[in-house]
Amino acid sequence: MAATTFTSAERKAQDRRTRRKEAKRNAWAYVFVSPFYILYAVFGLFPLLYGIWLSFHQWDGISPMQWVGLSNYVKLFTADEIWWQAIYNTIWLFFGATTPQLIVALILAFIINSGYIRFKDFFRAAYFMPIVASSVAVGILFTSLFGLQYGMLNYALSALDLSPYLTTSEGCVTWAIKTNDLGCAIDWLGSAAWLKPSIASVTVWQWTGYSMIIFLAGLQSINPELYEAARVDGASTTDIFLGITMPLMRPIILFQVVTSIIGAMQNFDIPVMLAGGTQSSAPGGTDRAGLTAMMQLYWSAFKYNTGSKSGFGYASAMSFVIFFMIVVFSYSYNAARGRNLTED
Amino acid sequence: MAMNEKGLSRRRFLRLAAAGVGAAGAAGVLAACGGAATGGDAPAAEAPAEGNKAQVELTFWWWDAAGQIWADEYNKLGRGAKINFVNTPFADSHDKLLTSFASGTGAPDIASLEIGRVGGFTAKGGLLDLKAAPFDGGKYEADMVKYKWTQGSTADGRLVAMPWDIGPAGVWYRTDIFEKLGLPTEPEAVEELISHTKGKTWEDFFALAQQVKEKSGGATKLVADAGTDVYGGALRQGGEGYFDGMKVMIEEKATRPAQLAADFRKQELDANIGWWGADWSAGVKNDAFAGMVIACWMQGGLSRDEAQLNGKWRIVPAPEASYNWGGSFCAIPEQCKNQELAWDFVQWACCSAEGQNAMFKPTGVFPAYKPAWADPLYDEPVEFFGGQRAFRMWANIADNVASIVRSPYDLQADDIVNAEVTKVLKEGKDPVQAMKDAEAEAIKAIEGAQP
Repeated sequence: MAATTFTSAERKAQDRRTRRKEAKRNAWAYVFVSPFYILYAVFGLFPLLYGIWLSFHQWDGISPMQWVGLSNYVKLFTADEIWWQAIYNTIWLFFGATTPQLIVALILAFIINSGYIRFKDFFRAAYFMPIVASSVAVGILFTSLFGLQYGMLNYALSALDLSPYLTTSEGCVTWAIKTNDLGCAIDWLGSAAWLKPSIASVTVWQWTGYSMIIFLAGLQSINPELYEAARVDGASTTDIFLGITMPLMRPIILFQVVTSIIGAMQNFDIPVMLAGGTQSSAPGGTDRAGLTAMMQLYWSAFKYNTGSKSGFGYASAMSFVIFFMIVVFSYSYNAARGRNLTED
Repeated sequence: MAMNEKGLSRRRFLRLAAAGVGAAGAAGVLAACGGAATGGDAPAAEAPAEGNKAQVELTFWWWDAAGQIWADEYNKLGRGAKINFVNTPFADSHDKLLTSFASGTGAPDIASLEIGRVGGFTAKGGLLDLKAAPFDGGKYEADMVKYKWTQGSTADGRLVAMPWDIGPAGVWYRTDIFEKLGLPTEPEAVEELISHTKGKTWEDFFALAQQVKEKSGGATKLVADAGTDVYGGALRQGGEGYFDGMKVMIEEKATRPAQLAADFRKQELDANIGWWGADWSAGVKNDAFAGMVIACWMQGGLSRDEAQLNGKWRIVPAPEASYNWGGSFCAIPEQCKNQELAWDFVQWACCSAEGQNAMFKPTGVFPAYKPAWADPLYDEPVEFFGGQRAFRMWANIADNVASIVRSPYDLQADDIVNAEVTKVLKEGKDPVQAMKDAEAEAIKAIEGAQP
């Protein structure tokens, strides 16, 4: 080891030569993996770079593109209240949906993994089912569930006789509406107050099973000897959950939170199904309470298309703002946990 | 899209082949028009002996399953092309078209444009001028409803969207509920109560709504939603749309309609059921409302989805004025390489009584092509409307509506105003202030934009 010494320049030259030789020897291997890179370049990298290019233009898709420099970003940050409202809604929906989703999923996974119950496979499949359903079917199901006058939820709640609590001296409270059969009933999808919780609850319903399966996989990778040792030492189930399961599940939880952030920032289909607007109502519902960033992006690009604050260029700028928000949120969650993703 | 490939009969194919032997070479070129989306293997499979003569297939996009009616009828005629109808859902039909323009590929041979989106397309490129060779669309100008022609034309006078249908609108009501409540059921009598043809106004409409509410003990209202039925109607009486060129007209046009809707809601005259959703369908079945204020095209969906009510609907003209709601256009994108055959289809579909009425009769999609109205069909009693001669009434309404100006910002303005109307109806916001806010927001949204 000490017999030969290299200067750093020589070492670098040596490295280069070795690398080149390596590459030559592995040429065929590169050819074999190339379909992925070619496809990635065509369908991943090119659209990404083109999107950056687009975000400096104003373009309606038909007329010639017009270079506008950073003006799309400037407008987005300084003069677009609807956009920031959409961002607020998106973040609200992230916390409102992800928090209960992950907590419930973790508890369910723990129960299913615990050995207290039978028919595990059935429960696992049943909880996973919603994720298989198409968003359109889910949207139709939940719009009739959340219906005001004839919704199943309001019928179910009528058994509790909430009407007196929803009634004021001047009629119904702002987020309820007088109906023929039910008195004052909650306007789930029509009131600004309830629209976001309604959307969040659908997300929870749809994604809890998926999270649970991932948690379950994580739980099954924990060495059962640890549980046995804890039992021998007299630990309770709660002790085991908090002292063994939770710490060992950290990487899984981290993965779930990061994927949830990515998913939530791109929240689109469920809000569109529940509050996408019709010929006589705007997308996002009352007060645009259900308008997410992704919806505003899509509407700007494809529906509005022509104004100074719409079109493909403006929407591309939006998409990069969303992208950077995902990076920042994921990174700060990571940092707050004190560890780097790759170490876990 | 291959739905109809086997529908091509052998006899028809032979006839076509005989007529087109000389054109066989050209057909190879023309066949490119359909693009990759239309596999042209049906003729080959049916008659391989005829050689390489492939039938030209044209793709036609529309957002209603009824488009198949045109495809079937036209294909029966054997005029040269085979139409492949593709049902492109309304929510993204125009978006798909826009994407195909932006990417330079994938557009249909014949596209459909709705009145709310046509302004965005006529202001730009991507569509062929139907008045320039090889087309001669200019000759149909006198036959079309006038404002419709203007809407389909660009600022410099090119016609890029051929008028297809219009949406004469009026008040619909159900005879079964009116009878139960002891109200007159004959259209003539109801017309006396609320229609502009008898000098009646929205005030009279309110009075009728009040009667329905009282006589039913509040269980049934006259209409479902003040937003769609009252605001939607009253606004369009001043001509659909919120622009005059680049000038925003929201305050001017929408304030009174918003006030009317707010009053209607405040007096609890509507059932407070939003349109186009599950609650609305449930409301129809539960007799929550006895009528609606909407256009003729409602017939298509209603006769399918609420077939139990066929024969119970009647229509009368709206209070204060006739108006139009909706309607569409046919267009030929620049990407179509078989322009002559596409034009033949557009002429047959939009500019002939035969094509227009083939669509109108079963669906209520009302022709913008006026000569179509001369058909005896329009004076026949209509079963869906319980024998009322409703088609003639639509024609009379269609002839008397305010002209409609379209702009590329229509959809955006619609959403901005709708958001404010929702605040007025759901949260009790002052309608005057709401329309002021909407105007300010619309001006901000379009400022600095290229027209």
